[in-house]
Amino acid sequence: MGSDVFEISVNFIKLVAIFLLMVQLVPLLVWVERRGSAYIQNRFGPNRVGPLGLTQLLADAVKFLFKEEFIPGEGRRLIFLLAPVVALIPGALAFGSIPLSAPIQVEAFQWLGQTWGPYNFPFQSFQFDIGIVFVLGVSSLAAYALLMAGYGSENKYSLFGALRASAQMISYELALGLSLVGILLIYGTFDFAEMVTLQEGPLTLMLFGTEYTLSFLPNWGIFYQPLGFVILFAALFAETNRLPFDLPEAEAELVAGYHTEYGGLKMNMFYIGEYGHMLVASGLISTFYLGGYNLPFVTVDQIREFFVQSQGFTLTNASLAASFLLHLVFMAKVFLLLWIFIWVRWTLPRFRYDQLMDLGWKTMLPWALGNTIVTAVFILWMRSV
Amino acid sequence: MGPGEHHCHSGVYSLDAIGIGVDMQEAILFYILGSLAVVCSLGVLLSKNPVSSALYLALTMVGLSFVFVGLDAFFIGMVQLAVYAGAVMVLIVMVVMLFDLKKEEDSFSPGFFGNGLKVILGGFMVGAIASVIAYSTEMILSAPKITQAEPVDMSVKALARLLFTDYVVAFEILGVLLLLVAIGAVALSRIPGGTHADD
Repeated sequence: MGSDVFEISVNFIKLVAIFLLMVQLVPLLVWVERRGSAYIQNRFGPNRVGPLGLTQLLADAVKFLFKEEFIPGEGRRLIFLLAPVVALIPGALAFGSIPLSAPIQVEAFQWLGQTWGPYNFPFQSFQFDIGIVFVLGVSSLAAYALLMAGYGSENKYSLFGALRASAQMISYELALGLSLVGILLIYGTFDFAEMVTLQEGPLTLMLFGTEYTLSFLPNWGIFYQPLGFVILFAALFAETNRLPFDLPEAEAELVAGYHTEYGGLKMNMFYIGEYGHMLVASGLISTFYLGGYNLPFVTVDQIREFFVQSQGFTLTNASLAASFLLHLVFMAKVFLLLWIFIWVRWTLPRFRYDQLMDLGWKTMLPWALGNTIVTAVFILWMRSV
Repeated sequence: MGPGEHHCHSGVYSLDAIGIGVDMQEAILFYILGSLAVVCSLGVLLSKNPVSSALYLALTMVGLSFVFVGLDAFFIGMVQLAVYAGAVMVLIVMVVMLFDLKKEEDSFSPGFFGNGLKVILGGFMVGAIASVIAYSTEMILSAPKITQAEPVDMSVKALARLLFTDYVVAFEILGVLLLLVAIGAVALSRIPGGTHADD
């Protein structure tokens, strides 16, 4: 947690704030989803309550709170009640390990008659040097929430929905994991922060032992691993249960699936879990392939330097300002990806179940495997010459 | 990562500032996670419903993986989470899809003789565990105390190097074993009637 009271308190506040950031973004995303879908389908969407319909969310929240709490009499009560809570955990834990901005460097300062610092606060809830493995490990627990919901409801449709969901998640987790191996080979690290640092500056390629620099492109992972990017993006759609892979909860055709028996706030928690997964997915894609919090063509040090020299900031304040700016950059990338998630949902039709399995096992898995082998051979060949 | 930065790289989350030493923290963490693992593994054995058993097993795996984290073995802990806790998921799906749950419950409660046998076997098991604990406590207590621990390279790179050089034969054999299990599972599921072939 830290070495003294100040560091511990800041880290604790950070932990809570980042969780709240995730939870508070969800109503906003629901609003974007509803207005966006309306825009795509030539409707108005919710536009009556408050400016642009924004306070509709508040009304919805109150509605969710006051709905009757329904627990199926034949169900398994404990599992039924635990499922929505479990649905929140993986997303919240995974989101906490993604660096949302450059670390804030605080110089030693005097306060309350004592010298504090210097400190270095990473802009994330907790930092591991094995970030990816942590995210993969935690998100492998995500399917439990769906299965517990389906099993605890003691309802055929719920159970079928849960089985569809878990089969889909297990199938696409393979393609997801394999598509990550290519980018891991290139960066040579499991640490998100290190990965983001490696993506600073212009695109630099090693070809046959010679270094080429393309100054008009940023040094982002997407230029090294375009195929890995496409596979990871598609697999993440399946992992978040979004259209075109939303068979687990196809409302109209298959009865809503694992959350058929849920209502009110419990139903809402599944939604928060789903949007939380979308946030984590967007954060991961931008960290791996879109340079994380990096602004193209400038490094973090250059931004700090700019604040110190032209604005006359102290080093601490410059670091704070740079981190704030880069946090906005990161969030812009995340929101762009989130909009693509929503856009795709209201544009593409749903896959049939056999098509879904075919795509996962017979198309994406071999391509991801091929990508891994080609990347490994290429790296060995290019870097050894 | 500059050398001057002192974030929690090795996983030592020190709470010294508020008066709790590292040993104390490790002890608290271990007792919480250890009791979680023990209670949940009892749940695996004692619950009659296979799905509840599997859910308890998943919780046991989560507890164990965080025990690894408490030992600073982050990578192994997280792999434990991804591989074992994730694999229990498959187990649940198999249980739900392949088994007749009512029938399994009946077959797990077979009457007086079966229960007697279970109690006797359980007694043997408890005896074995108790004797292991007794002997190993003696051995640990009489062993010379390690005052200065050798710095061990816990990084993923070091682990991978060991795995693919010194232990590569064991690694490959384990791979073949897993392949055998997979082929066996496919072969079993192709028998008409599955695990209840006599129906």
